Amino acid sequence: MRGTSTTAAAAETTLHRSRRQRRFWNRSGRLAVPYLLVVPVVVVIGLVLGYPLYWLARLSTQKYGLFELIQHHGTSVGFANYSSVLHDQIFWHTLLRTVIFTVANVALTMVLGLLIALLLVRVSTVVRLLLSSGLVLVWSMPVVVAVQIFYWMTNFQNGVVNYVLTELHIGNYDQHDWYATTFSQLSLVTVLIVWGAIPFVAITLFAGLAQVPHDLVEAAEVDGARPWAIFRDITIPVIRPILLILTSLSIIWDFGVFTQPYLLIGQAKITPGNYLMSIYLFEEGYFKTDFGRGAAISILMLLIVAVLSVVYVRRMVRIGTAQ
Amino acid sequence: MKRRIIVALGLVAVLAVALAAATSAATKKTAANSITVWLQTDAQSGWPDVVAAANQQFQSAHPGWTVNIQYQSWTDHLQKFDATLAGGGGPDVIEMGNTETTKYMASGAFAPLDKTQFDNYANWLPGLAASGRYGGKTYAVPYYAGSRVVTYRKDLFAKAGIKKLPATTAQYMADAQKLLAKNKQKGFSPVYIAGEDWYVAMGFVFDYGGGIATEVSGKWKGLLASPQSIAGLTAFKNFFLAASRASKTTIETNPNPYNVYAEGLAASMVGPSWFTCCVGKKYTASTAQFVMPGHIAGKTMPGFLGGSDLAVPVTSSNKALATEWIKDFTDTASEKALQAKGNIPNATNLLGNSVNERAAARSWFVPTAKHWVDVENGNILRNMLGQILTGKLTVKQAAQSASDNVASVLNQP
Repeated sequence: MRGTSTTAAAAETTLHRSRRQRRFWNRSGRLAVPYLLVVPVVVVIGLVLGYPLYWLARLSTQKYGLFELIQHHGTSVGFANYSSVLHDQIFWHTLLRTVIFTVANVALTMVLGLLIALLLVRVSTVVRLLLSSGLVLVWSMPVVVAVQIFYWMTNFQNGVVNYVLTELHIGNYDQHDWYATTFSQLSLVTVLIVWGAIPFVAITLFAGLAQVPHDLVEAAEVDGARPWAIFRDITIPVIRPILLILTSLSIIWDFGVFTQPYLLIGQAKITPGNYLMSIYLFEEGYFKTDFGRGAAISILMLLIVAVLSVVYVRRMVRIGTAQ
Repeated sequence: MKRRIIVALGLVAVLAVALAAATSAATKKTAANSITVWLQTDAQSGWPDVVAAANQQFQSAHPGWTVNIQYQSWTDHLQKFDATLAGGGGPDVIEMGNTETTKYMASGAFAPLDKTQFDNYANWLPGLAASGRYGGKTYAVPYYAGSRVVTYRKDLFAKAGIKKLPATTAQYMADAQKLLAKNKQKGFSPVYIAGEDWYVAMGFVFDYGGGIATEVSGKWKGLLASPQSIAGLTAFKNFFLAASRASKTTIETNPNPYNVYAEGLAASMVGPSWFTCCVGKKYTASTAQFVMPGHIAGKTMPGFLGGSDLAVPVTSSNKALATEWIKDFTDTASEKALQAKGNIPNATNLLGNSVNERAAARSWFVPTAKHWVDVENGNILRNMLGQILTGKLTVKQAAQSASDNVASVLNQP
């Protein structure tokens, strides 16, 4: 640039600089876009999750009972709440019961949901329409209403279930008490939960099954593959990501389920002998007005669910990168 | 660098929204010129006119003020109340069961009251007055009490050839067989008692000289496994199996015994004396009451003396007016009106000679311990009864485990 006049040189420098500047802003603008897009989510999550979580964690390290509730401040006790929960026999029994309960619920939901989804693929359009409308109706029923109807159906004195089972000569179910044992109580809750969860699983899997390449199935059939082999080697691998996400969501929902067991069994019938984790949390925290201990239980529950879902999330991410 | 700024901006936005939310919550205004009263639904179904009369009296003495009555249910009113203690918006007057008050008084949830301003304060029923007193101060005013009696169908008793009302539990059990022979409908109970109705079951326990728990030098000791209590529980089991077709594991409000009775499926039922309210038009004329007999002739079975108190929460911003309303609702006229509805009035000088009031002569009450309410909410006694009646555990096993449980809950710090 030595041969040019100073004004021209200056002009050129300005031009260069502004061009460079524009390029800089363009580049950083492009870099900033993803962050800007993420801001609303961060704000919302911060508000609805981060802030309460912070208070929950704080509460879990405090003695916070009725007295503290009225004074509006607790006294710090470090990790005493956690150690009291972890030394509580009831906690471990409840955890075991909840894990078994969750496994049963998730397994039943996934297997029945998958079977119905496979059925939806095979049936005629009219039947498919009827079936999926039925599923959507189940899904749209408020939980509280569903609980009440289940409760009426299984009523001791004049429930329709006892009547039908007796009329069908399956046994004498006259005045059979479905709420007499923990197993019977939790089995009813399982029926209610699985019944309510199947629609979502079935419809989602049905959508997933539409992704199974038809020509691949045909080719396998030509090669003489049996239906089971086709299902195992073609269908399942295609819908695996959906299966995984549905399973992990179901685990999270069923592990922390509260409404169905609490309302169906009823507060007056709830004892440490039939606690599920969320009910244990509610009874310890609210009924005994020991909010600090309740907060510690809910943090522990959160950690357990996080550990359970990490396995699935990692496998999902791996599938995502492989594809 | 840029990234960090953007992250920082995001955080600032979060904080700004959070602050805005916090300020708007803080400026929430309260409804003017109105006091909120939480009463249990018993008043709604049993004596709404007494409530209305007290409101009328209050409003004419305090023009411009209204009373907002909100009816609550026993199962969840404490949780709702706890939430209002933390978050505001709670009642100015709250009704509490006499088994529920101690924990709240101990935690400073109620404002102290000057008892001399209430009618008949010197003669308040001892059991109720005790449940409203803590550390020498009065925090709750007795509202009413209720004893438990037998409500029965005169026509069915006559048809079964029962000429004299039973004088002992054994006679009552024999009468139950006669009633059963004349009434073959499915699910018919000569004496409807829910399996886990612990109020009835503990009556048997106290009748045989047993108890729930007692305080021995500052520590609670369970009494359910004592020989007397076990005799009582065994008697209850035998009586239930002979006389009631209710579920062995259902509670006393599910279904409500008076609904079973109104359906014609019970010849009698044991429960609060106000059960006559809801026996159905068809049976109103043929319904009468008697005091549940004990196992020894001439002695009635001790009945649970339930009752309610009225208190002013410390969170109330109208404490003086709230006290005024309690005064109106518990004055002699109101108490007489409550008595006419089949309740026991709050003071001994008002007591009459009804079945209800005679039943109250021999009564029992729960241990007055800070954590008693946790025993109730933990369903320890109900669970024990279910185990006994279904035969899952022997009377002794179930009683021992419940007794240990009760003691450990009551002895919590």
